[in-house]
Amino acid sequence: MMELPSTRIDEKAIQAWRITSILYGLILFIIPGFFYFVYMMGDMPVLFPIISAPVTITIYVLIITLFPKIRWNRWRYDVNEQGVDMYRGIIIRKRTVVPMNRIQHVDTKQGPIYRKFKLSSISISTAATTHEIPALDDETATHLRTMISELVRKVKEDV
Amino acid sequence: MSEFRRQHPVAAITQFLGVLRQNIVPIIIFMVVGSRNTNEYFWYFFVLGVASTLVLGLFGWLRFTYRVDGDELQIKKGVFVRKELYLTKDRIQVIDITEGILQRIFGLVKVEVKSAGSGTEGATISAITREEALELRALLRGESKTREEKEEVNTEEIINETLTWKLSGRELFLAALTSGNFGLIASILGAFSGELDQFITEENLNYLFDHIPGLGNASIFVGLVIIIFLVSYIFSFIGVIFQYADFKVEKMNNELHITSGLLERKHTTVPFDRIQALRFVEGVFREPFGYGMLFVESAGFQQKNTERSIVLAPFIKKDKLKEFFNVFIEDYEEPETQITPPNRAFLRYLRRPNYLLLIMIPITWWFWELGWVLFGFLIPATFLGWLRFNDATLWINEHTIKMQYRILAKRTAFVKKNRAQVSELTVNPFQSYKKLATVNVTAASGAGGKVFSLTDIDSEDAQMILKWTLDSNSIR
Repeated sequence: MMELPSTRIDEKAIQAWRITSILYGLILFIIPGFFYFVYMMGDMPVLFPIISAPVTITIYVLIITLFPKIRWNRWRYDVNEQGVDMYRGIIIRKRTVVPMNRIQHVDTKQGPIYRKFKLSSISISTAATTHEIPALDDETATHLRTMISELVRKVKEDV
Repeated sequence: MSEFRRQHPVAAITQFLGVLRQNIVPIIIFMVVGSRNTNEYFWYFFVLGVASTLVLGLFGWLRFTYRVDGDELQIKKGVFVRKELYLTKDRIQVIDITEGILQRIFGLVKVEVKSAGSGTEGATISAITREEALELRALLRGESKTREEKEEVNTEEIINETLTWKLSGRELFLAALTSGNFGLIASILGAFSGELDQFITEENLNYLFDHIPGLGNASIFVGLVIIIFLVSYIFSFIGVIFQYADFKVEKMNNELHITSGLLERKHTTVPFDRIQALRFVEGVFREPFGYGMLFVESAGFQQKNTERSIVLAPFIKKDKLKEFFNVFIEDYEEPETQITPPNRAFLRYLRRPNYLLLIMIPITWWFWELGWVLFGFLIPATFLGWLRFNDATLWINEHTIKMQYRILAKRTAFVKKNRAQVSELTVNPFQSYKKLATVNVTAASGAGGKVFSLTDIDSEDAQMILKWTLDSNSIR
């Protein structure tokens, strides 16, 4: 049995994700809005807006309240000289390992919401794919980025 | 090669034809529209457009110069926007030499230099002599060889025939017979059938119905489907013959040289250290005879060709693969440890191909009273699931992983540990309950990755594969 990675991401992630969900979740309301519009035009049974509205509201509430918390709770990662190990997923759980000597470059990035919470995410690129560890404390992120690129250099020299 | 050189003037024509070919659809539409247009100015514009393309091709040729300086390929080009392109030797992944029909008439070749990363779209020299191309390749490959030495290599290669694999005429014929590339070609025909709309009018059809006895709506539909299939089968047959005629793979100085094609000869060079993975696909029509197609994945081409895999053997017997690898692939060891999905995954395998059907049946039934016919598909879908369960196998050793799985055709992927970029394990709630997991191993291919996936293996086994990927101490 391979042990799960142990490091958690920053707890402020929950707040940051909530705000993101509040903003982006508004897009969901296009669907009942559209149904209502078509109903007003007289082309659709009233059932469509009546059913879709509460469903959308429920989903909206869920992605604001519950999901960020579960997502944060599930997210684990580890970085050592072997590679990067990531574990995440709300319904479908995903575990990804990237061997250190396959990493090509590491970036940190920060959107406006993350900036407010002093959070950054790290993206790790290989020749094939890019992986992201979200919502790390600014200092942790910078530290991790330096650490990974140093490890990569060390490991690649070894081989 | 220190001073800048120009290509052969034929390059101007190939560029012109290239522009025409790229814009073939607008040109056809243009001409169809134009033929309805009685205004003669239209044709002036058309001729003017074609002429200016030709002139542009000419200037393009004048402006295009290249040289190799030290370990760098330098290209200067561009008519309105001057572009200078520098490609260093160690970034070059693959060098393709193609002899198009036009080039062949003049004894010329096209050289495509493909490098790691994107933005290398311009590294194509479209018409130079064969000698120049070989010299260029030698320079860029870092073989400091004079021509005499090169010929020596050639004679050596003739003596050592075990290092060459050729596709025999019989195999080519069988490959063409079993290619079964209908889907793609049928869709192309489908796109073209839009153009046919003006011929398939109600009047024409009524005329046909009146004059050909026993022709109903259904029979014309069935007939059309059969014709499309037949035509695409013939096209696919001819396509394979043209593409893979005279196919051969040679191993020379840590590189694979692949040559193929009837009218257009293509010569691809793949250095061993750029090989990311191998992939064997047993097409539905080929599997019963024990044959399949072998691809090699090589990393870092231009973005447009993400799907780019190089054909290493268009038609090869599965039993012969090991022999083939021993010759052409360095230090390949057949992995022995075998992992298969456990029996508790069996029903999941049977069910999986049916989910989509079960969603589709009620919807189809709603709209079409004969929708229940789809129930009949449950049997082949379940059979497919059964096949998938039987085929899903993974072999592993210290250095290599071999994954066999079936979508519709059976596929086998061979990835060396030091080429596995990422490994991933996913578990959905149902899998979690049964302690199963899906494992994905990604190798680099083109500008992106190629994912090889095995569903529903024991989660312990899946974790073992992740561990194997991480464990870099055992590399060589």
